[in-house]
Amino acid sequence: MSNPEVTSTHSAGAPASNKALTIGLAGIAVTLLGLVLSPVHIVATSWLVGIAYWCAIAIGFLLLTLIHHIFDAQWSTVLRRQFEHALSAFKWLALLFLPLLLITWFGAKDTIWPWMNPAHLLEGEGKTVANDMVYAKKSAFLNLNAFTIFSVLFFVVWIWISSRLRKASFTQDKDGNASWTKMNRMTAGFGIPLVALTLTFAAVYWLKSLEYHWFSTMYGVWYFANCMRGAYSCTILIMVWLYNRGDFKGILHSDHWHSVGKMMFAFTVFWGYISFSQYFLIWNANVPEETFWYNLREYGDWWGIGMVLVFGHFLLPFLLLLSYSRKVNKAPIRRIALWILGVIFIDMCWNILPAVKDAAGNPLPFFSLGLLWALTSTIGIGGICVWSYLKSFPTTKLIPIHDPRITESLTFHE
Amino acid sequence: MSHASEHSAPAILNEVKATSLPRAKMVDNDRDFAWITDKICGIVEGKTPSWWWWCFAVACFMACFTVAGITYVVATGVGVWGHRSPVNWSWPIVNFVFWIGIGHAGTLISAILCLLRQKWRTSINRAAEAMTIFAVVCAGIFPVFHVGRVWYAWFLFPIPNYNNIWPQFRSPLEWDVFAVSTYGTVSVLFWYVGLLPDLATLRDRFALAGRETRAKIYGFFALGWRSSARAWSNYEMAYLILAGIATPLVLSVHTIVSFDFAVSLIPGWHTTIFPPYFVAGAIFSGFGMVLTLMLPLRAIYKLEDLITQYHIDCMCKITLATGTMVGYAYAMEFFIAWYSGNPYEGFTFINRAFGPYAWAYWIMISCNVITPQFFWFKAVRNNTTFVWVLSLFVNLGMWFERFVIICTSLTRDFLPSSWGYLSPTVIDIFTFFGTFGVFSVLFLLFIRFLPLMAMAEIKGVTPQADAFNGHKNPHA
Repeated sequence: MSNPEVTSTHSAGAPASNKALTIGLAGIAVTLLGLVLSPVHIVATSWLVGIAYWCAIAIGFLLLTLIHHIFDAQWSTVLRRQFEHALSAFKWLALLFLPLLLITWFGAKDTIWPWMNPAHLLEGEGKTVANDMVYAKKSAFLNLNAFTIFSVLFFVVWIWISSRLRKASFTQDKDGNASWTKMNRMTAGFGIPLVALTLTFAAVYWLKSLEYHWFSTMYGVWYFANCMRGAYSCTILIMVWLYNRGDFKGILHSDHWHSVGKMMFAFTVFWGYISFSQYFLIWNANVPEETFWYNLREYGDWWGIGMVLVFGHFLLPFLLLLSYSRKVNKAPIRRIALWILGVIFIDMCWNILPAVKDAAGNPLPFFSLGLLWALTSTIGIGGICVWSYLKSFPTTKLIPIHDPRITESLTFHE
Repeated sequence: MSHASEHSAPAILNEVKATSLPRAKMVDNDRDFAWITDKICGIVEGKTPSWWWWCFAVACFMACFTVAGITYVVATGVGVWGHRSPVNWSWPIVNFVFWIGIGHAGTLISAILCLLRQKWRTSINRAAEAMTIFAVVCAGIFPVFHVGRVWYAWFLFPIPNYNNIWPQFRSPLEWDVFAVSTYGTVSVLFWYVGLLPDLATLRDRFALAGRETRAKIYGFFALGWRSSARAWSNYEMAYLILAGIATPLVLSVHTIVSFDFAVSLIPGWHTTIFPPYFVAGAIFSGFGMVLTLMLPLRAIYKLEDLITQYHIDCMCKITLATGTMVGYAYAMEFFIAWYSGNPYEGFTFINRAFGPYAWAYWIMISCNVITPQFFWFKAVRNNTTFVWVLSLFVNLGMWFERFVIICTSLTRDFLPSSWGYLSPTVIDIFTFFGTFGVFSVLFLLFIRFLPLMAMAEIKGVTPQADAFNGHKNPHA
């Protein structure tokens, strides 16, 4: 190991990180190839699916770390180091977000977000954004300068908080000073409200404003639910991977698996609760200004995708995670985690892709080239995120060996 | 480059050396089991203190205001209340939501904190559960009498009347009937199941002291509890199942209450964040009331070793967290009202902040968003008098939240010609004021006759209850 920062005797192994990087670059390359086969706006919007998906997971890991500290939690101490490694992805996500900003600044301004171009003709409405009264009212918020400043700010906040958490935790491995734990608790105190606000406004700017006529106060909470579900599912995959390698043997036991499984269950219910509440209140009030968003998602094959979300994103994981044995056995819980990660992808597609419309104002079908580019983008960005995690992985100890709660976590029993 | 096989887990375990940062104790001064039992049972067994009689007399007097108010309403009709078109829901529903919200913390502490293995809940759960039940009783008064002819209140139940007319199942008010009654039932069950071991302790102590009548009464309610291993095993399982059932109920009750408003088209009511926002607000107000009740009791009965500074810290932090969530919801409502471009939504929120009820709005913001921010500071949390004063502000603010939501939206609706200014009548004020008396009467009776704290559960979180003293069970 040539890296001077490498302090641990464990390693993810170069082949694994190289493989992740290769997959990431290949995914990005195939997405770029999409520019030849599909219009730019379809590929760019699909790229947004990948960004939204992996930002959700990274934010989820950030929240898991912050919540761990604010609760002075016990059981999750042995897992926290993996959360911290995952936070290394933020800087790469910021870099990968850059093409979206560049397109809007230097390409056609309405490539993704129609409101960025006053001359954009609103599909099916026969008027431009400039002539749209609804846009005029919110133009102080929805403009390219504000969008750019806020987007940069979101990443600055996420990277800054992540760096504080990682630095304190990693340094504690070396000096065993309890003040680092106190510092991280303080970071969690102000970090949670900051992350809550930034993720909310990121969801509003990046996703909700794709159809800027639509509004829902719940939208930020919906994104938060996916953040948490994504992070817990990835945690399971990491746990299985490290356990099968032998790293976590003798460290993790059934109560750790059970605890993560229970949190997956809790956030499955939470996602269902949030999504149902949003849908139900809009359906029941039946106000056209709000229902049009759901109506678009009942058009063509999108209706079926909505049903996949109802049954696949909520009901199936809910039923499967009721079982104790499925939560503590590696094979079934890994399958459930993979399934949840799959349906989060579909949820992101369902929220983002119908914004790409035909001339009549109807969304393009789900099963179209846009889906392929969304898939390759998600794989590409995911490959970079996994590579970033694997690069960070060998630079520290496997677990925070001097954390004040590490013994409690190792001996944890319910 | 090394691989997992070379670096198996035990190697890293040899490097583990936890930095010292001791956890706060759940029971201070290393009190033993006997001390805990004597302390809590002593409250029930001792002579009734004079302060209790004074408080009980005042509470009964206050409760008379509700009784008199309701009697007058039944005798004359709900017109004696202050609601007038367009504010057809005013104080009664404000009071209903206020009390239901307070009723949230008890089952939250019992159920959700139990599932989350938060050990600090054990010192406050019993009193909080009692608070829940009494708050639900107070809440129930308002919708029942708001129906006008209270003898027809049974129409709310899913029984067809003599014209074969069923209740309107599509109305969230009807869902309230089911949600609140289910919540009330499960809360009572949960409370009662938790009481069983402690009732048996009281039975045995009264029997030993030769107070046979009391021993028989407590024995009857203890359901023959003998502390056998099987009884404990069944008890633990029943408690866990009830916690599992109660958890969604905690969320559902205030979600349904939020639907009372959010399913409508009234600006300021129809907003999708209402369900989680109402739940957060309910927990916030519930913890406010727990602090209001428990801090004086802690001082009066000298329970500092059982309700420690750590317990107060935890309650303050939850109040801070939920108050901040409520602040997030206020901000999101305001932002989306503007972002939506809907002139009616925009007007409603500007009207709230700067209209004729601006005073109520800013009381709400001050109490619910600014007040809890004091809990960031340890010095504040350590000052129990200040914490108690802040908890009163939380209670006040949460009443005003409901007032602001309900009254500001209705006083200025879509039709400017019908705009008005709501003023409560003296009957409104008396009826609401009296519910604090009803609540206090019930709570004082609880303090006097039932164990204020869950003895068995507190003992379970003391260090001497852990057979392995924090180490892993070698046989696990």
